[in-house]
Amino acid sequence: MKKVFCLLLALLALGTCALAETVNATDEAVLNIFTWEGYIDYSTVIKPFEEETGIKINYATFSSNEEMFEKLSAANGGDYDIVLASDYMINAAREAGLMQKLDKSIITNYDNLDMTFMGQFFDPDNEYVVPYVAGAPLIVYDPSAVDIEITGLESLWDPALADSIGLIDDARVTLGMVLLSMGESMNTTDEAVLAAAAEKLDALAPNIHVLEYENLHNYLLSGDVSVIYTFTPFAALALESNPDLQIAFPEGTMGFGVDACFIPVNAPHARNANLFLEFLLRPEIGAIITQWQYYCCTNIPARDILGEWYTGNPIFTGITERLDDIEYVLNLSTEEEQKFQDVWTSFKLDL
Amino acid sequence: MVRKDSIRRQESRRGALMAAPMACFAVLLVALPLIYVLCTSLVSGGKFTFSSAFTLDAYRALLREDYLRVFANSLQLAFFTTVISLVVGYPFGYCMARAGRRWKALLMMLVIIPFWTSALVRIFGWKILLQANGPINGVLRALGLIDQNIRFLGSYGSVLLAMVYCLISFMILPCYNAVDKMDFTLVEAARDLGSKPWRAFLTVTLPLTMPGILAGCVLVFVPSVGLFYLSDIMGGGLVLVGNLIRDQLLKVRDWNVGSAMSMVLIVLSAGIYLLYRKAGGDNLGVF
Repeated sequence: MKKVFCLLLALLALGTCALAETVNATDEAVLNIFTWEGYIDYSTVIKPFEEETGIKINYATFSSNEEMFEKLSAANGGDYDIVLASDYMINAAREAGLMQKLDKSIITNYDNLDMTFMGQFFDPDNEYVVPYVAGAPLIVYDPSAVDIEITGLESLWDPALADSIGLIDDARVTLGMVLLSMGESMNTTDEAVLAAAAEKLDALAPNIHVLEYENLHNYLLSGDVSVIYTFTPFAALALESNPDLQIAFPEGTMGFGVDACFIPVNAPHARNANLFLEFLLRPEIGAIITQWQYYCCTNIPARDILGEWYTGNPIFTGITERLDDIEYVLNLSTEEEQKFQDVWTSFKLDL
Repeated sequence: MVRKDSIRRQESRRGALMAAPMACFAVLLVALPLIYVLCTSLVSGGKFTFSSAFTLDAYRALLREDYLRVFANSLQLAFFTTVISLVVGYPFGYCMARAGRRWKALLMMLVIIPFWTSALVRIFGWKILLQANGPINGVLRALGLIDQNIRFLGSYGSVLLAMVYCLISFMILPCYNAVDKMDFTLVEAARDLGSKPWRAFLTVTLPLTMPGILAGCVLVFVPSVGLFYLSDIMGGGLVLVGNLIRDQLLKVRDWNVGSAMSMVLIVLSAGIYLLYRKAGGDNLGVF
């Protein structure tokens, strides 16, 4: 028994050693990408890149920004060559010194990026980050099922919308929406403001029929709700399936978000990473990304390729027009995050 | 006598050897992570390290009205799921056991085949059936029973339906097993002695199949307490223990409180199992 146990332990130890002994050659034709499942399409982006450059892409996934940060810190900014994540966590990674600067002698088409999306808080000097997609949550509604005209966030509280709204099941996004409707910051830590927002959120309860994080457009299209407040791709998908639907933007400040790529400070294949970013920024690839992700296109020449499909879409153009008054959901401390979560939990309990 | 003993010892040693790899896996993949969760729940300020001081702060943070209501919510949903599963599943299992060979095989297939399809896919199937412009509303409208589509999705009932649908086979199979193994001559004897059918059922069949019922209830109730994604998929917007744990870990990033919640859930499940064993329940081998 003891012998077998020892043998097993020895085998296990051997296995671990073998794993740790991975090759770490910088000129290896490999690129390790770290992002959400399905966020970079294989057949239209990854495969063409592999065929053109001969660089083999390994696609590792995380399920949340927090998980990404955890793993990247544990790897000391190594292991991965490209990370694609959300604005607030990218900022955390930059502040933790986990990024390296882009090599713009390789990324010669960096100027394809729309400058209105640039110089944001997560990369004020445009040194580290290539924005991938951008978007804002907005209201989509079915005018045939709604008796009022929806002009902005405040309309959601109208008694005519009883039991007919679908909201995003997320404390920061939806409580943030309430805060925006009050003219307050989505990132407020002021107890009194948060308490007032909680009260206003409770007043919305009679109008809510569904809470779901993703795919709210399905409820709108099937007639299960008449109004949704949802993320850009779901709004765009809804509008594409039923052009009779209407959209409404927040009256004042708009919640906004960017998902972007960066190269970790100890990326084993940094050159390949820069080559990949150059590839992503090509107009034809930028167009493909937008067609796949249904977010705002960050690449100006790509919009010419997309043509009317993009420039004629009121969601994409509407968001781009409102970029002078936006706010990001920022990372708060555990205690502050807990306050938002508590408001959300007690709201849902009374729903 | 001596030889018999030595043979037995040899056999038991061989048994231990055979079980060793399994035991290693169980320790490595189940026990160690659970111990880590327990340790994390007993410290504060992030993940467990050997230098951290033990504290019950995380458990104290659980003693709040909202969290107790969340646990109550989960237990309530699990209770309703179990009761409905029993009310529907027991007669199904009973009929299956009493059916002829061909019917038995067919009914068994109806229970088993959905098992081979992802629960997620099946639940999305229900979503399509239940949606406002879906087939169920279509039929109700065609029959003239309603003028306006009913918005089933997002209701408590739709969540309950999904829960029962996903877990009912765990009720049907033990009930079927118990009825199938039962000696029906006992029921016949009761009937011969003048007992009415319902009385024979209550005094003979029900007590004899109680082990199956208990096993089914435990097998449905315990996973129900932890299941939260079904409520999320059906748009129910409920806060269940699972939601709470996920939000603590992924959104608030308070690993200690998240771990403490997980420990409470594990202890709760273990407690139910212990109660079941105490009530004379057998091991939970279903097949």
